[in-house]
Amino acid sequence: MTHPLSRLLRRNISAGQIAGYALANLVGLTIVLTALQFYRDVTSATSGSDSFISADYLIISKKVNGLGSFMATDRSATTFTPDERTDIASQPWASAVGAFTSADFNVAARVEFGGMPLSTALFLESIPDEFFDVSPRGWHYTPGSGKPLPIVISKDYLTLYNFGFATSRGMPQISEELIGSIPLRLSVSGGGRQEWIDARIVGFSSRLNTIAVPEEFMEWANREFADHSSPAPSAPSRLIVRLRQAGDPDAMAYMASHDYEVAGDKDAGGKAAYFLSLVTTIVVSVGIIISLLAFFILLLSIYLLLQKNREKIHDLMLLGYTPAQVAAYYNRLVATVNITVLLAAVTVMLAASSQWKSSLDSIGAEGTPPWLTIAVGTVIMTLITIGNMTAISRSIRRTFRTQQ
Amino acid sequence: MIDSITLRRVLPRVFRGSEHEPPVSHSEVWLRDELTFTRPGNYIVEAESGTGKSSLCAFLYGSRTDYDGEILFDGTPVSRFSIDWWCELRRSALAYLPQDMRLFPELTVRENIDVKNRLTGFCTETHIKEMLSRLELADRLDDRAGLLSIGQQQRVAIVRALCQPFDFLLVDEPVSHLDARNNAAVASLIAEEASSRSAAIIATSVGNKLTLSDFTLIRL
Repeated sequence: MTHPLSRLLRRNISAGQIAGYALANLVGLTIVLTALQFYRDVTSATSGSDSFISADYLIISKKVNGLGSFMATDRSATTFTPDERTDIASQPWASAVGAFTSADFNVAARVEFGGMPLSTALFLESIPDEFFDVSPRGWHYTPGSGKPLPIVISKDYLTLYNFGFATSRGMPQISEELIGSIPLRLSVSGGGRQEWIDARIVGFSSRLNTIAVPEEFMEWANREFADHSSPAPSAPSRLIVRLRQAGDPDAMAYMASHDYEVAGDKDAGGKAAYFLSLVTTIVVSVGIIISLLAFFILLLSIYLLLQKNREKIHDLMLLGYTPAQVAAYYNRLVATVNITVLLAAVTVMLAASSQWKSSLDSIGAEGTPPWLTIAVGTVIMTLITIGNMTAISRSIRRTFRTQQ
Repeated sequence: MIDSITLRRVLPRVFRGSEHEPPVSHSEVWLRDELTFTRPGNYIVEAESGTGKSSLCAFLYGSRTDYDGEILFDGTPVSRFSIDWWCELRRSALAYLPQDMRLFPELTVRENIDVKNRLTGFCTETHIKEMLSRLELADRLDDRAGLLSIGQQQRVAIVRALCQPFDFLLVDEPVSHLDARNNAAVASLIAEEASSRSAAIIATSVGNKLTLSDFTLIRL
C-alpha cells in the first residue's frame, strides 16, 4: 500500500509542467555538454604533435633588413635584449618565455649512406626542455659517456627532403624510423680544438623549426669549443613564447607593433583556435541560459504546486510532520527528474561525439575521454537540484503557520 | 514532556484597542496576568462565538502567532521554539482536534488515521479498531472521509487525535455535531485515553459541552 502521504502530496502535480521543464533543461544541458566535449575533442589536437591548432607557442625573431646581416660584427640588431625579453614575459598573454641558445662553434655532420660517406655543415640550437612538443626518450647528454647525442629536427626538413628533394632527384624517400636508426657523426670544432661526437636523430618537432640538442650539451660544447677571441653573442636571436590562450589577438598585435616576426604560419591555426574558443563560449552561454530558464520554469512550477497543496501541507504539519518530511517527497521528485535529464543529456553528448569522432580523427585529433564533461554536467545538475530543493524547503516552512 | 502551560497577558491582535470592552474586559483568559493549565486535569473553556476560542487553540498549538503577551510551556516562552521543535511536540506532547477537523476528504477513514499513526507508531491496529467501534464507526473504515456525515467526521478526527502520546489534548468543540449518546461515548473515550497518559484535556465549547465528570470551567 502506498503511504497515504504520497497520495496526498502528488495531487496537483502537473505532468505537463514537469515534462516541459525536463525538455527545456535537457536541451540546455545537452548544448552545454556537447559544445564542451566538442571543444575538448578538437583542442585535444593541440597536445598532439600534428595539431592544426597548435599556436599556443610562438617562435619570434626580429626582422633582418638590408645590410644588417652583412655587418657580422654587429648582430645586436637581430637579438633580443634582456629588457625586451622581460617585457614580453610580463605581458598578460605570455605564460612563459624561453630563449634559443645557438652554438658558438662549427658543426659538420657525416653519415654513411649505402657505403658512401656524405658530409654537410650544420647548425645546432637548444631551448629549455619545457618548450618541446615531443619528449623523446633519453633526452640527456653527459659529456664523455659515449652515448650518442640526441637530436630533434624540424618535421619540415624531412618533408622537404621526402617530397621536394627525393621525388625530383629519384632518390629514396625515408621514414622517421629509418632516419632514427642512421648513426651520425658530428665534427665539433672551434677555439683551436676538434672532436668527433656520435649522434642520433630521436624525434621530429612540428613546433620547432630548428635542429635542437639538449641544453646540457650546448652548455658544455659552448664552454669547450667557443672561439674566445671573438665576443660571444650572449643575447638570443630567437625566443619561444608560450601563450595562455591559443591565438590571442593581443599577442599578435604586440608582435606586429614591435616588428617581431612570428615563425611559420602557425598564426593561422592560432586564429582558428581563438575562433573556436570564442564560438564555444557563445554556444555554452546559450546552453547555460536555456538551462537557467528551465530552472526558473521548475521553480515556478514548484511554487504553484506548493501553493495549490498549501492547505494539505499545513494540515500535515498540524499532525506533526516536519517540513523536511513533507519536502522529502518533492525532493525525490525533483531528484528523479534531474537525474533523468542528466543521464539523457550525457547520452546525447556521447552519441554526438561518436558522430564527429571520425571526422576529427582525419585531422589528427584523437579526442578526449568524456569524464570531465560528465563531471561538469553533474556539477551543473547538482547546483540546479540544490537550488530547487532549497526553494521547496523554504516554501514549505512558510506554510507552517496559518496565514493571518 | 510538558507539565504546565501558562498564559501571560495574552491577547489576540484582533482585540487590540478593545481591551476595556467585552468580550476582553470580562474574559478569564485574555489579558489575565497569569493563567496556568497543569496536568493531569480537565478544563472546559466556555465561550460565545467570536470570542477567540479557536484562536486560543491555534496559539497553544503553535500554528498561529498573531497575539500579544506570552505563552510558556513549563516556564519556557514558546516564541523561542523552532518549527521542528513544534513538530516534535505535536508528535509527542500535544494532541489537537481542530474545530473543522482537517480530515483529508480524498482519503479513507483508515488512511486518515494512518497518516497520523504511521508518524507516531503509537496505536496498534486492534486499538484503533476498538476506538472506532466504541464511536460506532467500525464499518466505515474503508469509506472516503469526505463521504461521511459531519458528526462521523468529528469522531474519526477524535480517534486520529488520540493516535499519539500527549500531555495536553486540545479539543476545539469536539461534540458540536454529536447527540447526547455520542457525546457520552466520546467523553468517556477521551477521558480514558487522557488518564492513561496522565494528561490534561483542554476542551472548548460554545454550548454543547463535552460531558466530563470533573472539570474546571473557564469563561473566555
